[in-house]
Amino acid sequence: MKTGNNSFLSSVFFEKDKRWLFIWVTALCTVGIWDVLFLNKPALGKVVTGFVNTFVIAALVVSFTLLIGWGLTIALHFLSRKKNKTGYIILTFFLNILRSIPQIVGVLFTYIAIAALITSGKATSGILIFPIMAVCMSLFIVNELVDLMRDRIDHFMKLDFYNAMRVCGIKESRIINFDILWKNSRIHIFNKLIAVFGSAIFLQCSVDFIISVGLSSEVNAVTLPVTLGSLLAKIDSKQDILAIGNTLTNPMYFPNLFFSHLLGVTVAFLIVFSLVCIYHISNGYAERHRL
Amino acid sequence: MSIHHFNIKVATPQRTIVAIDDFPLYDNHITFLFGESGIGKSLLSKALYGLLDTSDLTVTVNDKPYCDHLNSRWACDIRNNSFFVFQEPSSHLNPLMKISEQLNEGSLENIDDTEIMEYLWQHSTDSTLNTIREVYPKPYRPSGGEKQRILIAMAFKKLTAFMENRDADASSFFVFDEPTGSLDNRYRNLFLNLLFSKFCKRHFSAVIITHDYSIISEIYNSYRNLVPFVHFKELSRIDECKVSVDDFSADDYLNWLNKSQWTDPPVSQTADNRVLEVAPEFSIFSRNLCIYKDEARTVKAPLIINKGSVVYLKAPSGIGKTTLAKIVMGIYKSDSFKMNLCGRSYNEKSHESLWHKEIWGKKAGMVFQHADESLNLQATVKETFDALKERMTVDLNTQLNLLFKQNIIDLIINKKVAYLSGGQKQRLNLLRTFALNTQLLILDEPLNGLDFVNVKKVLDLLNKLRLGGTALLMISHNEEIFETLIDKNNIFYLSEK
Repeated sequence: MKTGNNSFLSSVFFEKDKRWLFIWVTALCTVGIWDVLFLNKPALGKVVTGFVNTFVIAALVVSFTLLIGWGLTIALHFLSRKKNKTGYIILTFFLNILRSIPQIVGVLFTYIAIAALITSGKATSGILIFPIMAVCMSLFIVNELVDLMRDRIDHFMKLDFYNAMRVCGIKESRIINFDILWKNSRIHIFNKLIAVFGSAIFLQCSVDFIISVGLSSEVNAVTLPVTLGSLLAKIDSKQDILAIGNTLTNPMYFPNLFFSHLLGVTVAFLIVFSLVCIYHISNGYAERHRL
Repeated sequence: MSIHHFNIKVATPQRTIVAIDDFPLYDNHITFLFGESGIGKSLLSKALYGLLDTSDLTVTVNDKPYCDHLNSRWACDIRNNSFFVFQEPSSHLNPLMKISEQLNEGSLENIDDTEIMEYLWQHSTDSTLNTIREVYPKPYRPSGGEKQRILIAMAFKKLTAFMENRDADASSFFVFDEPTGSLDNRYRNLFLNLLFSKFCKRHFSAVIITHDYSIISEIYNSYRNLVPFVHFKELSRIDECKVSVDDFSADDYLNWLNKSQWTDPPVSQTADNRVLEVAPEFSIFSRNLCIYKDEARTVKAPLIINKGSVVYLKAPSGIGKTTLAKIVMGIYKSDSFKMNLCGRSYNEKSHESLWHKEIWGKKAGMVFQHADESLNLQATVKETFDALKERMTVDLNTQLNLLFKQNIIDLIINKKVAYLSGGQKQRLNLLRTFALNTQLLILDEPLNGLDFVNVKKVLDLLNKLRLGGTALLMISHNEEIFETLIDKNNIFYLSEK
């Protein structure tokens, strides 16, 4: 008979998503312990703040994407079934505009709006800035989730499933929300949200890096929350990254990376390794559930 | 007569799917295997035939690893001499190969299939059969019935090859898994006739998996001399995964059939008692269809169902019986159509919201053909009824008790529907609609996937509902059962104009 520990270990060993989640968490813990031992306190504080901010914002993006996506899907479904299609056309037009803007460009624009809010003093606390950033980012990601959820609804509407429930007098809102989306699509939705989490980290880091490196000092002066992307753009990190390049021609310098250039190496590792792990977790989850 | 006895177990790493201590196989006899859908008839037959994939499943035959069974003399013999007709013809046929090429697969190019094809198609014109032969089996061409006949033709080619085999000791094991599922009675009888005529020439072993109990009557009426070579068996459940093969009494079925008849309750045929009236002519998808009162399709008549009466709608497969049911239920929008349901008229212009407000779950309910598709497989049995609580007049346990034993209810109440057997799903499908207590019930293939015990239970329950005043519209390919039960005046025929 399998014990609880054995089944946990076997699932970590045989199931790709759980294996990569385990690898990710283990790597984060290892890097954390290493940094506590060898990274100076001010830099360590920055890494921790950047890491927490990045992942909190990404988690908020996931939450808002789910809320907005679910709401939009339901709205589109019911508007599409009305005789008067005006509402449906307007909403589809709005979503298509969002779809036509590359995500990274969209997020850059929203940062400009956030910067304006901060400089005008309307948004000063991190508690307010985080959700605003997350909502803006989720607007440019939400189409992916809406498309998935609408595909699922369309699939079930083609089957007898949908009509068999309707002729029993079951409310359409229950069929869509509970029977189709919750009971039959939550695995698909969760898998998409894992990918959204990865996209949010990538977009955030990319845009923060671009803003911190390339924009004028006036915008830079705005106190946007420290994230892994903005940390990577800091001069110390850049030197650390250059040091990694240096090891290609000077391999003997390699051990110094883990002691003298820990800030840049840690930040780069956290971004890249997290994205790789999330990619594998998402793939493994899809494989495990045969999506 | 020699009998092979097999002990078979099929399991996944998580659970045993099916296990049987004694699966008998009668040498040179024909076995008809009944049993509720999903109980394991196909799986056990596939296990014996050597078709299971051991990368997903652990299979043991006679307590030995599957590879031992596959390497046994018997298994090697049957792989060379026999054929397995799969239940779903689409999954058997290769969409990238012409039918003619597929008919010749398995070194059968030297066997002439003209006679078999002509017989199964009842067509001797070369051009018609050549058209079929030159087709790539895509989803909608050939039709489901034609695909099934193509598979049967392949099996009979293999059978012909076996008959020409001079090795008198060679074993055979022909498996026909629901070979007549997509065929009407005429083609089913052609299949039986071909099967028994080959059997008379040289005996072979065959297992025919079916839910069509009317095959029994056909055999007793047309092939009585061959009854000693025929076995009727039923697979029944012992516990959650263990099953057993028991004798199925053909006499029980025939006696039950002779005694069964539903008589209409003594209600007047006034408009007050009229639940549904559908105008005889209607059209949908640019097809003009018509309802007739006589089998010869000469007398057009409106389809009328009164309180407490049952109407049986007959038509060949694919004509539009289900389509008519869906038009009545407002699921399909017709080009032209008129009906009166519980005193209110509806036509092709009536808005969908009318059905939603007045009919669905209130005046009428419909049981769909495929329980697998019409139930939420990811919901539990309890959740399936949660949305109907307001309409149910009895509690869930009482409702389930109508078709399930209490110990089974306790086992399945919190189980996902996906984990139920096909027969259990079908019973759940029926009970969900019965719970609505509507004035009209439309039942599309209500006996699908049920074993004989449950066929009787369901029919008793339908009779009770009918005697309670519910009007029933029946669509079913179980012609023998419903033609016996239902008064001839209540049988209508659907046909294209």
